[in-house]
Amino acid sequence: MTARGRNWWVIPPVLFGLFFLLPLVGLAWFAITDGDVAAELGSSTTWDALRLSLLTATFTLVLAVVLGTPLAYLLAASEAGWARLTATLLDLPLVLPPVVSGIALLTVFGRRGYLGDPLAEAGVTLSFTTAAVVLAQLFVAAPYYVRAAYAGFSAMDPRFEGVAYTLGLSRWRTFRSVTLPLVWPALAGGAVLCWARALGELGATLLFAGSLPGRTQTMPLAILSAFESNAGLAGAVSIAVILVGFALVLMVLLHRLSTPGGAYR
Amino acid sequence: MTLHASFQGCAGDFAYDIALAAEHELLVLYGHSGAGKTMALRSIAGLARPDSGTIEIGGRTVFDSAAGIDQPPQQRRTGYVVQEVALFPHLSVERNVLIGVEGSTEARARWGRLRDALHLGGLDNRRPHELSGGQQQRVALARALVRPVDVLLLDEPFSALDDALRADLRTELKRLQREFAVPVVFVTHDLREAHLLADSVAVIDDGRILQLAPRDEVFRRPGARRVAELTGVRNLFAATASGDRVTVEGLELRLPANGLSGPVDLGIRSERCNLRRFDPDEPPPPNCFVGRLVEDLAFGNTHTLRFEPDGVGPRIEVEVAARPYEVLDVPSRNRWVIELPPDDLLVMPQS
Repeated sequence: MTARGRNWWVIPPVLFGLFFLLPLVGLAWFAITDGDVAAELGSSTTWDALRLSLLTATFTLVLAVVLGTPLAYLLAASEAGWARLTATLLDLPLVLPPVVSGIALLTVFGRRGYLGDPLAEAGVTLSFTTAAVVLAQLFVAAPYYVRAAYAGFSAMDPRFEGVAYTLGLSRWRTFRSVTLPLVWPALAGGAVLCWARALGELGATLLFAGSLPGRTQTMPLAILSAFESNAGLAGAVSIAVILVGFALVLMVLLHRLSTPGGAYR
Repeated sequence: MTLHASFQGCAGDFAYDIALAAEHELLVLYGHSGAGKTMALRSIAGLARPDSGTIEIGGRTVFDSAAGIDQPPQQRRTGYVVQEVALFPHLSVERNVLIGVEGSTEARARWGRLRDALHLGGLDNRRPHELSGGQQQRVALARALVRPVDVLLLDEPFSALDDALRADLRTELKRLQREFAVPVVFVTHDLREAHLLADSVAVIDDGRILQLAPRDEVFRRPGARRVAELTGVRNLFAATASGDRVTVEGLELRLPANGLSGPVDLGIRSERCNLRRFDPDEPPPPNCFVGRLVEDLAFGNTHTLRFEPDGVGPRIEVEVAARPYEVLDVPSRNRWVIELPPDDLLVMPQS
């Protein structure tokens, strides 16, 4: 017994940490012993899926930021009942099973969906295209960004903006020079979450966009398809390891980017 | 420069009706929290929109509901300083001050002058969190004055500072106000601060301006019982006036002619009441009555004494400085003669 007693309380966090770490180690180990990462790295299907994943997730993030930031700002600035209702509705995609989100998208944008015929007449077919992948990811992942941005804008003291206006700063200039730097940490955190969620999206994409290699087959779908093929678990694991590796590198980079020495510390 | 404002509106279920005017002077907008002080400033600055009325700053109409004029805050030429969010935390002192006027050499020259006047030399590259509270407020003042403004709006700017710092900043504010010859509307709920700074005082309560007058007039001649209450008059009674006499609780008092008769509100500040030794063989002189001491609260440099009337007269609170308290040896006796000097009696139409 030391003077401070034993630190029994560290046992649960260590177990919890192992719970997350061990499956990743298992994944890597399985890939090394039974899988063939080298072969998958040499396969064009894998590269297509990886490229598609990064492309669509990034495009989803751009759309979420461009469309979601003004929405979050509007919701935070308004005290009206509809704003609060909308803010609550934004949580809905977070709790929906992604498969349900995919079905919901199909009912509207699918070929036999409510907007299917008008869209077809306009020459737009969405289902089973890369655009559909982005729509599915946007539906599932954008709420993470909008929620974070909404929380950030709500937490900011509106008087900062008021003072800026009296100093002659236009609304846009105030947003750029005052509001944005103040809520930057919230926006960046939301962006990372949104991007990560988009990268891992499976259910909604599968239902709404399908799993066409090179067009709609993102990494999670490629892993699923490998799992269901002759390659089985070994093939799936090999691709999974590649995805985990890329995701890890990119998450680290994004975290770096999103906290440039802290916003104003 | 002048400010004329008269506007009405609602914020939620809080209705307000504000009328303010200021020339080259420091107008203190005095009232309790929730009285509508900040709402008034925000309306003048263009950050809140009244339902009706007019606001004129430096001769320019910036708001006129009937004429459909509602200038945005960017065009109103107001300097607005708020205590809690004084500075933009992510910008250096210099960028805080010069935000919005970066290109202007005139503004840079003014910043040079303000930097000296407000003792801000050598702080240009500091971030707000590296400054003391007093320095932050000085920077906020400089920022509000670095552009030519027609009115300076200060919302409890010193409320988070300690007394010594506040005294310094008040002096500097007075000097700046004279130098820039700009009307200042200074919001506070601190009676002493109002007293120290004000050229004139507007007393605001529940969204309404109860009285706007030169400082001494507000404190010496409150227009209504509520003004007297808010400005610290502790003795307030219902009384009946007729000519140069007023009767309160059976006690007849003389007072300067004031043109009021019938039911009135009568007040006297506790520090204006005089205490005399009681002599049972002598009838009380005019404007005096006999009271029994029932409470003695010591505040160090003053004592607050509460008296019950012994016969006619009101219950009264008297404030006595420590020295006369000791000379008179107040605790040694129970009965005292309380004098209410005619010139210190405040008579107001009954509300």
